[in-house]
Amino acid sequence: MTDFDDGKLKDVALRAALDVFDTMLSMDARETKKVPEGFFNGSKIVGSVSFTGDVMGCSRIYVNHDFAKEMTCAMLGMEPDEIEGDEEIHDVIGEVSNMIGGGVKSHLCDMGFPCQLSIPNITSGTNFTIETRQWAWHEHCCLQCAQHLAMVEIFLKTK
Amino acid sequence: MSLKVLTVDDSKTIRMVVKRAFKDYDVELHEAENGVEGLALASKIKPDLIVLDITMPVMNGIEMLEKLKAEASLKDIPVIMLTAESGKDNVMKIVKMGVNDYMVKPFKGDQLIERVEKIVKLQPSSGDGAGEGGAAKYFALDQDVQLLNVPDKVGRPVVVEIENLLAAKMKEMVGAGVKKLILNLGKNSQTNMSLIKLIVLVAQRCQSSGVSFRVTGQQSLGDELKGFQETSAIPFDASIDQAKAAMA
Repeated sequence: MTDFDDGKLKDVALRAALDVFDTMLSMDARETKKVPEGFFNGSKIVGSVSFTGDVMGCSRIYVNHDFAKEMTCAMLGMEPDEIEGDEEIHDVIGEVSNMIGGGVKSHLCDMGFPCQLSIPNITSGTNFTIETRQWAWHEHCCLQCAQHLAMVEIFLKTK
Repeated sequence: MSLKVLTVDDSKTIRMVVKRAFKDYDVELHEAENGVEGLALASKIKPDLIVLDITMPVMNGIEMLEKLKAEASLKDIPVIMLTAESGKDNVMKIVKMGVNDYMVKPFKGDQLIERVEKIVKLQPSSGDGAGEGGAAKYFALDQDVQLLNVPDKVGRPVVVEIENLLAAKMKEMVGAGVKKLILNLGKNSQTNMSLIKLIVLVAQRCQSSGVSFRVTGQQSLGDELKGFQETSAIPFDASIDQAKAAMA
C-alpha cells in the first residue's frame, strides 16, 4: 500500500477531476494549493460515490450552488434560465462525481485492488459539514475554474 | 429514413449529452432509464444502434446486453457501451461481452459520433438543408469564381455535409468551365480540428480536379492557420477581392 502514501492517490483524483472538467464541461480548471477560508460556508452541493471490495472508501466533489449551476449549463449545453430546478443540477454533479470516482476506481483496480463503484449520492444544503472517520488514507485537492472553486476529497482503507 | 438510436442510461445528464451529440444528424433518438425499460423499448422499436450504460439500477447494462444477445430478433443490434471505469479488467470484460465498441466517461460528443460512424452511416439532419438546398447554403457563384461560404460554427456535421456536396459541385464546376474556388472563412474567428479537416479536404478536391484554390478570412485566422502543419502552405487572403486578384 506504499503507493497510497506518496501522494499518488491525490494525483489520481486530481487527474480524474481535471479530465472531467476539460472533457465534459470544456472548463479550464487547475489545481490551487489552498482551500480558501469560508469555502465550506454557505450553500453547497456534494456529490459522492463509494468503493467497496478489496479497498473501501469514497470520493467526493464539493461545489457551491452557483458553480454547480454553471457546470450544469456547460454539461447540458443550456442557458441558466433553461434549468428548471435542482434535479438537473444534482444529476450533473452526481454524474461528475461518478466519472471522478470511476477514474479513481480504475486506478485502484489496476493496482490490484478490485472494487465496485456505487451509484452517486448527492447532499445539498447550507452550513453542513461531513465528518468522515477511521480511514487509513485521506487526500484532497482544490480546483480553481475562473472565479469558482471545487474540492475533491478521497478516503480509503483496505479490508 | 432516420436512424433509430436507443440510449439507455439512468443519468438524465448522459442521455442529454448523447442527445446533443446526435443533434445535427438525421437520428430518431429514444431514451430508457434502465435495462428493463431498454429491453422493452428495443423489442418495440428495433433500433439501429444502442448506446448502453453499464452501471444502472433495476437492471444494469451487462444484464441487458446478455438478454439482448439471447434474443434472436435483437442480438444483431450494434451496441456501444458506456463506462466510467477504464481499468484493464473492466475493459477486458466489456470486450468479451461482444459489444461493437465502448466509451469511457468522460467523453466528448464528437468522440461518440466518431465511434458511431465506424458502425453505422450517419447523415446530417435534413433540417440543415442537405441536398440541393444544402448546396445553395454553402456555394455561390461570383462571376467565374466559385465561393464556398463556411458557417461560423464548424463541427463534424458541417464537414460531412460539405464533403457530401463537394463531389457533385466539383463536377458541375469543371463542366461549366469554372476553375477557381475560394473557401470563404469570413465568419470564422478561430480554428478547430473540423475546420482544419475541411480546409484540407477542399484543397485536396480542388487539386485533384485541377481547380485553383485560395482561402479568405480574418488575418488573425490566417496567422493561426500558418501555425498548423496541414494548413501552413494554404494560400490565404484577407478578403475575397484580394483572393480573386491573386487568382486572376
